[in-house]
Amino acid sequence: MIFNPEFSAQQQHTTSPIVTGGSVIALAYKGGVVVGVDTLCSYGSMADFKNVEKIAQVSKNTIYVSSGEFSDFQQVVRELAKIDRSALQYDDGVHPSPRDYGNYLARLSYKRRCKINPLYLQNVIAGFHNGERYLGLVDIYGTYLESNFVTTGFASYFCKAIISNYWNDNCTLDQAKQVIRECFKVLFCRDCRAHDVIQLAYVDEQGAHLEQPERVETKWDFSGFKNRANEKLHTQ
Amino acid sequence: MNYTDILSSKFEPETTGTTIMAVIYDGGLIIGADSRTSSGQFVADRCADKIDYIHDRIFCLRSGSAADTQIIAKHVRYYIDAHAQELGRLPAVATAANLFRNFLYEYKDSLSAAIIVAGWDPYKGPQIFTLPLGGSVIEQKWSIGGSGSTFIWGFCDSNYKENMTLQQAKAFVLHAVAHAMFRDGSSGGIIRLLNVTKDKIEREFIDYKDVPVK
Repeated sequence: MIFNPEFSAQQQHTTSPIVTGGSVIALAYKGGVVVGVDTLCSYGSMADFKNVEKIAQVSKNTIYVSSGEFSDFQQVVRELAKIDRSALQYDDGVHPSPRDYGNYLARLSYKRRCKINPLYLQNVIAGFHNGERYLGLVDIYGTYLESNFVTTGFASYFCKAIISNYWNDNCTLDQAKQVIRECFKVLFCRDCRAHDVIQLAYVDEQGAHLEQPERVETKWDFSGFKNRANEKLHTQ
Repeated sequence: MNYTDILSSKFEPETTGTTIMAVIYDGGLIIGADSRTSSGQFVADRCADKIDYIHDRIFCLRSGSAADTQIIAKHVRYYIDAHAQELGRLPAVATAANLFRNFLYEYKDSLSAAIIVAGWDPYKGPQIFTLPLGGSVIEQKWSIGGSGSTFIWGFCDSNYKENMTLQQAKAFVLHAVAHAMFRDGSSGGIIRLLNVTKDKIEREFIDYKDVPVK
């Protein structure tokens, strides 16, 4: 009975995600880093939770976003919040830097990967510390990368070309935000699990700034779209 | 199908194939649920109460495995009771949601449980927390769950309005749950409604003959 596979069918092994967040795009600009993510959490193919704020400010000058299993994201936010609190015990006035958060998350993810029980996430840590921008990517295995721009999920396929053509790391904040908005427009058109309401946040020397969710405008009224009714193909 | 033999490979554990719903209105919240507990194709309980008491102004709606959700609710009820004794005042709804979340997240590989925690507290008023499979916590103004919920997303999306009155909210929940029961084989029976406000809890029993959609 114990080894009856049908009997154990009710036990679900969730190494696959259930409630998932979508792509994350982050770009460095002259003076800081800006991150964008949509406000959707999907339940499989269903767009279940449509106005979720998924940008976490883990310290004054560090923000954390991820795509993947949302409950793991919430768990990581709790873990990262502990770091600053426990650093207080040293009583030396030193706060963890954004890179410290990135590194910690990489070690945590790698440990879980080694136990074959991953945190099902692609993580982005963005910050500004001692006059320097920081942008880190930690994937599901614990691979750690620092870069001037990062994308997760579908954005890695569709948006890198847009970013290469329209962004450089010396652009202004508004230019970087506009590139991110363009990327999310493309994602909304081409990614089934994307939503057209996004949230941006940026970190500069003043600290982290989280903005209100906004809707990106996508164009659907091309004459080519309107005129492609099937009866036209077959009746001329 | 032999549904009484627990050792049989065809045994399907009791689940709350169900329709559950909670909606915040201007002044409180309405909780609604159907009354069918199914064990595969058999209706194990035709008049169940799926609105579980956690504390005087905190309730949970259970979907998924009846066994899993009942025992978790039992633990959370105990923890909240102890917490409220020490606190000396009403516990926060978020606290109950967090306690549920800890179970659902830690044991995500073994549990089949999705919960809606709904209640009123003196700190933030009426609140609804949805805890889907996996253990995320998402606060919402209205939430539907269970197998019957799939049939009423369209109805709810088009009929929900912010800041409804008590009567509007009750009608919304009643019709939504009725529509779900109409189409979902795993939901049925009577509808139980609960109105949670600062001052009181009001239970309502909607008999089968009074269900608006049959």
